[in-house]
Amino acid sequence: MSSIPLWQSLLAIGLLATIAYGSRVLGLLVMSRVPLGPKVQRFVDAMSTSVLIAIVAPLIMFGDGGARLAALATTLVAILWRSPLLAIGLGMAAAAAWRWWLQAA
Amino acid sequence: MNRQTNSEAWLDVPGTWRGLVMMMPVATFTVAFGLAFGVAAVHHGLANWEALLLSTLVFSAPSQFAALDMWHSPMPLLALATVTVAIHTRHMLMSAALYPWLQPLGRGRQFALVVLMSDSNWAMALGQYHRGERNLGILLGSGIALWAAWILGTLVGVAFGGGIAQPERFGLDVIMLCFFLMMLFGGRPRLVMAMPWLAAAIAALAAYRWLPPYLHVMVGGLAGGLVAVVMPRHGEGKPG
Repeated sequence: MSSIPLWQSLLAIGLLATIAYGSRVLGLLVMSRVPLGPKVQRFVDAMSTSVLIAIVAPLIMFGDGGARLAALATTLVAILWRSPLLAIGLGMAAAAAWRWWLQAA
Repeated sequence: MNRQTNSEAWLDVPGTWRGLVMMMPVATFTVAFGLAFGVAAVHHGLANWEALLLSTLVFSAPSQFAALDMWHSPMPLLALATVTVAIHTRHMLMSAALYPWLQPLGRGRQFALVVLMSDSNWAMALGQYHRGERNLGILLGSGIALWAAWILGTLVGVAFGGGIAQPERFGLDVIMLCFFLMMLFGGRPRLVMAMPWLAAAIAALAAYRWLPPYLHVMVGGLAGGLVAVVMPRHGEGKPG
């Protein structure tokens, strides 16, 4: 089904799993030697969410109207109602509605 | 079994069960997110087994979603690794916060207990620890609940996701976008993050335009981290 050679996708999955588990273990290893300073904590803390910002920024900037409307709807609902499923659901519905309206018009 | 040295910590079946039950409400959401991942994975051309293996072994929504965009041949392994490292540095801080609790245990047991550590069960377990809980079954049990829910959701997603012909008509292509925005702005968005996030967005957009593919994720992450470090802190010690 997938067009990717088997060894490549197994390698990729292995890589992801190693990094995912490695990071969980690394925190323990580092702490058992020297506690993390506040600057390092602040850097890592901001970086890990900034990565998500970096992924979504081009999707919104260069996406179609549906993607932008979805982003707006999800963000507003997430902030106002704090319901994760409602936020994602309404975001998807907004994108679907926008495209349906474009086709109908 | 329970090595009690300077502080105490133990692990047993009743505690594990308690953690599992406590995480049940959140786990129902996790099934839905797993479903979203399964559907998105199918529409990004992943084989069913690939999606399921990812959910079973990686057990992390953000990095799995981020990987979907890079799942093509030839696989951009370096970019994939860099993005995943950037996303997962957070887990390093999280397990570090659990270290005082895990400290009395042997190293092998410490390493085994963080296998199923993810955002929500970490937050719950740490909250319980601060309230005096010392039974590590809370962490393990809640992890088992989330892990099972994540795999189950993925399974349902790949089973039914393939039947949809034009995913964008149903908004299925924006699942990842919405998921990340929900992670960022749901719960309690912190005002101190405004400047780092702004820097991250600008840097990422510039890198997306002018640098080779996928570098924008790393560039944005680094920009955000650096801004957070050099930013002047008003009212140090106040909750951000």
